[in-house]
Amino acid sequence: MIVSRIRSLATLAAAAGFALPALAQQNPILIGVSLTQSPPGSVVQGTQVKDGMEILKDIVNAKGGVLGRQIRILYEDNQGIPEKGRAAVEKLISSDKVVALAGGHQSSVCLAEIEVAHRLKVPYVNTNCWSDDVRKRGYPEVFNTSPYNTLVSSSMASTLATMGVKRVVAFAENTDYGIGQAKLTGEMLKQNAPQIEYKYETLDRTSKDFTAAVLPLRANPPDVIVLSMLPPAAYLVMNQVYEQGVAPSAKTILYDGAGLADYPDFWQNVKESGKYLLSFALYHPQMKQTPLATQIAAEYKKRTGSDINRLVLQAADSLELVIQGIETAKSTDADKLIKAMQTMKFDSLRGISNFSTAPGHSYQQWLEVPYVNYELTAEKQPIAQTVLIQAPGQKFDPAKIVRPK
Amino acid sequence: MSPGGRLWSERLRFDAQATLVLCAALALVPLVVTGPYALGIILISIYFAIIALAWNLLAGYAGQFSLAPAAFAMIGAYTTALLDHYWQVPLALGIPAAVVSTALLGGVLGKLVLKLSGPYLSLTTLAFAEIARVVIGNSHEFTRGDQGMHVATLTQSRVAYYYIFLATLVAVVAVLYAMLRGRLGRFMTALRDDPVGASSRGIDVVRTKSIAFCVSCALCGLAGSLYGTFSQLVSPELGLLQQTGLVLAMVVIGGMSSLTGAVAGALLVYLSSEWMRGFGNVQIIVFALLVIVFARYLPGGLWGLVAGRLQRGRR
Amino acid sequence: MLALDLLINGLIYGCFYALTAVGLAMIFGVLKVVNFAHGEFFMIGAYTYVLVSLKLGVSPWIALPGAAIAGALLGWVVERLLMRPLYAGYASWGFMKDEYAVVVTFGLSLLLINLVDKTVGPYSFRGPSLVDFGRFALGPVMLTGQKAIAALVAVALMVGLALFIRRSVWGLQIQAVAQNRLGASLAGIDATRTTSLIFVISGALAALSGALLAPLVNPSPDIGAFPAIKSFVIVVLGGMGSIWGAMIAALIIGVAEAFFSVYISYDYRDAFGLIVLVAVLLFRPQGLLGEKGREL
Repeated sequence: MIVSRIRSLATLAAAAGFALPALAQQNPILIGVSLTQSPPGSVVQGTQVKDGMEILKDIVNAKGGVLGRQIRILYEDNQGIPEKGRAAVEKLISSDKVVALAGGHQSSVCLAEIEVAHRLKVPYVNTNCWSDDVRKRGYPEVFNTSPYNTLVSSSMASTLATMGVKRVVAFAENTDYGIGQAKLTGEMLKQNAPQIEYKYETLDRTSKDFTAAVLPLRANPPDVIVLSMLPPAAYLVMNQVYEQGVAPSAKTILYDGAGLADYPDFWQNVKESGKYLLSFALYHPQMKQTPLATQIAAEYKKRTGSDINRLVLQAADSLELVIQGIETAKSTDADKLIKAMQTMKFDSLRGISNFSTAPGHSYQQWLEVPYVNYELTAEKQPIAQTVLIQAPGQKFDPAKIVRPK
Repeated sequence: MSPGGRLWSERLRFDAQATLVLCAALALVPLVVTGPYALGIILISIYFAIIALAWNLLAGYAGQFSLAPAAFAMIGAYTTALLDHYWQVPLALGIPAAVVSTALLGGVLGKLVLKLSGPYLSLTTLAFAEIARVVIGNSHEFTRGDQGMHVATLTQSRVAYYYIFLATLVAVVAVLYAMLRGRLGRFMTALRDDPVGASSRGIDVVRTKSIAFCVSCALCGLAGSLYGTFSQLVSPELGLLQQTGLVLAMVVIGGMSSLTGAVAGALLVYLSSEWMRGFGNVQIIVFALLVIVFARYLPGGLWGLVAGRLQRGRR
Repeated sequence: MLALDLLINGLIYGCFYALTAVGLAMIFGVLKVVNFAHGEFFMIGAYTYVLVSLKLGVSPWIALPGAAIAGALLGWVVERLLMRPLYAGYASWGFMKDEYAVVVTFGLSLLLINLVDKTVGPYSFRGPSLVDFGRFALGPVMLTGQKAIAALVAVALMVGLALFIRRSVWGLQIQAVAQNRLGASLAGIDATRTTSLIFVISGALAALSGALLAPLVNPSPDIGAFPAIKSFVIVVLGGMGSIWGAMIAALIIGVAEAFFSVYISYDYRDAFGLIVLVAVLLFRPQGLLGEKGREL
């Protein structure tokens, strides 16, 4: 008797609590984003994901929202820890009742989060988790707009083969992304260019001193050092590799396989060691841009003072997928939304295409993710002025590579 | 019995009774709170309560200021996870295995720090904890490193898991009460207050210390293992020094050397940290401040403030 | 050749570690407690250096003493507010000395990390270099201007500290209080003020080492963890309370770590120092120059 009274009182209070803001907002569409906003995860990435989503959300809301309702994004901080990501997604789905999830940007965390999304049958858009394992699980709720390790590794492998080098050393961070990419690149090299000697070193991403890993390379530097690492460790490795005179040098090219050359804190952390970095990159001003992408780029420049980069666009793109899905399905119901996203033609901001449902690394992945390869040739160089070694849709041209004296 | 003895056992009994009242209140919670997320939060605070009790036994009663409780929870969780992943060991064996492995490792740690005290002891346990975390976190081939490992689960029902944790909490309180009530409890506090004097009176300091370590670490391992099966994921972050710091904060704020203090502290700290999440992650700053203030001005913790008054009121 | 490279780099880093660790050794020598917030003094120093030179636009050579002042101030505040109870004759309050120190400094560490994270933000910044010339070759070894200069500054500071302790009046007072607090105060030394001085020096030195390393480690709010653990290992290895011991142990650790990570395992490099710590505590708790070498 008392219990039921307490319960009804609680329900009333909860209802009032929900009703009041909802009345003020006219029933917004809630979208959940679990990202990193504090260490040990990559806060730089988390911030860019948030920026990208906020900008697109504001643009869409200004035009009247989706299905006449405003979009509201709820953010949770997962600190780059899988367990916290799992808890965050659970909270977003069961407590906050979001209609979809997006924004995942660290593979280890994604892998934990998709389990919850799959169990609770809520659509989950993978913004930036490259690990193939996310796709291989084969969950129909998961939509992969992100680049994937097979794409990047095969591109890097064919680039290395084209460069005609003999010895390659890779530094990989000790996460799914790093080790996954390093291993995969090695396997592809073995198949397509067995004459290249390749090995990789796993580095602890929380360590501050990597000189001991770099020093053994001084005696006999390889032709290419590949970086499969994220900031802040990536910046430290770059600095320390440069300080020891190992790379970039006349003999050794430093090749970034994580797409970090356009991060907003890149130059303040690497300074002179960033010059001559060869970068596998997912954004370049010469790529085809949709009007919406141009608008987002202008808005990003206005808000942050920095040039647009690929992660901001990826984030906006994943939100765009959810929005288009809702519009196609004419509903926010999870089943209808998933069905819509599986069958509709996605008008992507970045021009990704070729949605595949083949099992394995290509499951529910847009296979054609445009990329380029460019080289930074001056400190604080804007991306537009970098040397394009592989322009959009073109072949990789090793003759264009600039070497330091 | 000397008046001192009566006072100690009275205080302990009152303490245990208060804790059981808390547990009874917790048992009624699922009737009011039905959302699975909210229930999950209270469940996690019960997990911390078990670890807080275990650490309190070692540090508050036996005076061994270990900085390894979170690491042992992690070791227990990984024991169950590894057994499940590689040899498909069912949880009925996997969870007791976690208790056994952490009891053994706890015994080893106890042996290592036998002759140490004060900061030497704390540093050694800290080193032990960090070594365990680094080894587990960096052995990517075996433990999948940062990604963590998938674990089987006892039941899919959140409510059932809640009661499993609560039942474990009650069992732990009962075990600790039984231990502390007898001579062993007296030996432990003697060890804490005056180790030299204690051994001069014939107390087997080695044995007392070892038992304290084994039991405390085993309980941490049990909690960790259960938690792993609950979240179906174990990762090295279970053993972060930050988690140990959280346990320390809980016991300091709740009240060291008391069962109720540990449990109440755990509930309070964890639930308010959840509540404060909405305010932009300032909860750690608040708790750090509280810990400092309590340690400096209110060393008895909240329980220390409350218990004296409550107990006097009863007579 | 590799071994020479490892040796030189190990020694250079060892100098930095030594600068960070001597402060901790001093605190232990006098109070017999471990300061778990020591790494945060390092962090505050690093941040002060970076922020002062970047935001105020001053030369890094001015930012360096700025960092020292910040560390000194922090040390003074911590001693005044938090550490006094340990020895200033406060009546029993239910907390044993060691537990109190651990809990309070742990809490302080969490507080500082999260305060900085909230106010400055979690991004890392590479600190500005003290000198303009970048990398250069010194014989077979590659160095950078910053590394070389910072190492020299660190050595100079440690020599200065050693002379200070040995020769100056305050230094003698510090030695006296470390040896026997009661005896020293009976002899007319103000033990409380001396302890305050020790915290100030410890804070300043840790902050300076943070500032010197800022261009090398790109500080972020959680940067304190790695110098803290290193300092614990070094202080234990050197013998708690012995400043010379800390300096020698720091060099040993710097070099040993470099060799260990190359020749044995890179992945468990961080565990190496910890294993040394455990081994020392088990087999030779007084360390290299422990209680026996109390005088400096």
